[in-house]
Amino acid sequence: MLRIKQLSFNYADVDDAMPMCFELEVNRGEILSVIGPSGSGKTTLLNLVAGFIPATGGSIEISGKQIQHLSPALRPLSIVFQSHNLFPHLDVFTNIALGINPSLKLDDGQKQTIDEALKNLGLQGFEKRKPGQLSGGQQQRVAIARALVRRHEVLLLDEAFAALGPALREEMIELVKALVKRQNLAVIMVSHQPGDARIASERTAFVNQGRVIALAPTDELLNYSDSMEIRNYLGS
Amino acid sequence: MKQRSAISAYPVLAILALLVLVPMLSLVTISGSAGDDSAFWQSTYLRRVVSFSLWQAFLSTLLSVGFALIVARAFFQLGEFPFRNLLLRLFGIPLVVPAVVAVLGVVTVYGSQGWMPLGRDLYGLNGILLAHLFFNLPLAVRLLLPAWLSIPRQHWQLGEQLRFNQWQKWKHLEWPALAENLPGVILLIFMLCLTSFAVVLTLGGGPKSTTLEVAIYQSLRFDFDPARAVILALLQFSLCVLVALLSLRFQKLPEVEITQSTQVIAQRDKSRWLNASIVITAAIFVIMPMLAMFMDAFSGPILSVLGKSDLWQSAAYSLIIGLSAAALSVSAAWLLLRTSSDLAFANKKRAASTIELAGQVVYVVPPLVIGTGLFVLIAPRFDVFDWAIPIVILINAMMALPFAIRTLGPPMRQNKARYQRLCQSLDISGWHRFRIVDWPILRKPVGLATALATALAMGDLGVIALFGTPETTTLPLYLYHQLGAYLMSEAAVTAAFLLCFCLSVFWLLEKLIGGHSDVTY
Repeated sequence: MLRIKQLSFNYADVDDAMPMCFELEVNRGEILSVIGPSGSGKTTLLNLVAGFIPATGGSIEISGKQIQHLSPALRPLSIVFQSHNLFPHLDVFTNIALGINPSLKLDDGQKQTIDEALKNLGLQGFEKRKPGQLSGGQQQRVAIARALVRRHEVLLLDEAFAALGPALREEMIELVKALVKRQNLAVIMVSHQPGDARIASERTAFVNQGRVIALAPTDELLNYSDSMEIRNYLGS
Repeated sequence: MKQRSAISAYPVLAILALLVLVPMLSLVTISGSAGDDSAFWQSTYLRRVVSFSLWQAFLSTLLSVGFALIVARAFFQLGEFPFRNLLLRLFGIPLVVPAVVAVLGVVTVYGSQGWMPLGRDLYGLNGILLAHLFFNLPLAVRLLLPAWLSIPRQHWQLGEQLRFNQWQKWKHLEWPALAENLPGVILLIFMLCLTSFAVVLTLGGGPKSTTLEVAIYQSLRFDFDPARAVILALLQFSLCVLVALLSLRFQKLPEVEITQSTQVIAQRDKSRWLNASIVITAAIFVIMPMLAMFMDAFSGPILSVLGKSDLWQSAAYSLIIGLSAAALSVSAAWLLLRTSSDLAFANKKRAASTIELAGQVVYVVPPLVIGTGLFVLIAPRFDVFDWAIPIVILINAMMALPFAIRTLGPPMRQNKARYQRLCQSLDISGWHRFRIVDWPILRKPVGLATALATALAMGDLGVIALFGTPETTTLPLYLYHQLGAYLMSEAAVTAAFLLCFCLSVFWLLEKLIGGHSDVTY
């Protein structure tokens, strides 16, 4: 579904930065967790896939089609950041509508799609509220709702739930799992919490120094890995 | 696929370069072709003008920053108190008070017939220092207060735990925070006082108290000696370059919004009363000239002054100049900042700050120097006074540009950092992006920048004094003529009218452009 091959990048403005090179595959209906220490390259990986920074080599394929040469707007994927996902002056409905058409000219069918997304995310009745009137969890639900109405097959979560408390984080992950199953999405979820990977993913990738060091079933990677790097990171 | 940064800044930079280089070139050319001017270089007049320019700027800076340190510290130590935000707003008012209005206020309070007459004549160094203090004390307080607010609460708690006395608190907590900002604030205020024109023109100007700026004006308008004006303008330019070079080493000026309290440590001991007295005294010092001027105006010939068509014609010219200069300077600031925030977002911080610094070129080349250059360039070819309005608009736009950049810069950079990637991923660009994202988020600072630029240009008595004629008189120039003719009661009414006019236009533009926002950011 999503295939990343020898995707490389180099921070030209950082003197001692190591060249990064990623290799990953995510299947339809799967949430692949990506964990690793700070500065390991997790967010850089998502920025490369989303096209925010240009890769120096390698390829990204979605459903067999290479997308690495496309601008961020043309890539068939959605992304949810940790914060600032919503425009503060626009209400919930308009924030979601931007995912369908940036000019905000919507037909009845598109309005219905937004209503469905609101319903699926438990946001009915919040349409007219501004982001400042929502809790952190509700704001992230709106961001996910917008990602869903775009109907792309790939969803990138960049520490999307890091600012939420443990219970709310778990609730959000369960919500994403249900949506992934329903819409058959391929998701990369970057997190600095190994516990998130446990809840969300059957497979987890451990990234360090700009490389995927290990890609294994989550339980195996978190509990039985022999890698010193992973054990140091987990503190086990 | 690589993100290209906006290039909107480059045409603006080209125009700015032209506006600076052409007048400078004409000054240098005339200076080179002038006859033997060694006598003027060695004259006591020149020595006196230069030394007075530096001396008054030094004393004004010393007094403004010295008192501001005391007032800002008192403000901080008082913590939250009733009317705190109101007082901070009050300290922002001098920024939009036209210099000639403030001068009249100072004369009304401290003049020989005033509320608190100073023993010696007010016209001269004393008056200049008082007027500069009125403008720069509140500005310095607003610039220095964020340094205190930036000290982490934990450091104060640590100081308490380690039983620091007042001196140790100052040495270990306050001074390190201040040291970063203080040189920048000192140099900024020194530069403002060195290039101050209206205050020195109205309160000084005699042989003993003339600065370079006023001497340039006198050479062109009274002595009709362009060669001498050129020498004075080049000297003033050299001094400003020196100060600007020093400033480059201390670029850091706080960008904190200080009307909102962040963390405030209130003192519970007896010094609370002392701090309260200091803040109240400073507030009275700022309010008194305005109050006195208004009281004089109310007892003055209001109807007769307001019935004069000259006043309304001057007001119309002021408004045209103010609005045009503001439109130019805010558009220029927007275009410069589009490129600089793109560059900053792409981690090219040096290039970004170079572009923003270039927009503040007017600090290095004072408006009157540019005006002199244009004057001597145009005068031999055309009737220079026919060009008054467009030249005054252009130079006032340049003068307002640093303020527009400082007002718009932080929100534009923040907007870029927060929403650039989101907009990219949602394919929101061009007109849609401006309409849906940028304008709603940035209209408030745009409104403030426009209001500020308009008020500054409307109240300016600088370049218009050089180019103005009886047919093209602005309100500040009209007021200056009344003061020059000792029509003090008429002048009080005009000054009150000018101040109300500036503040009303400021308020109206801020509301109209800034709009009503109920957004919780």
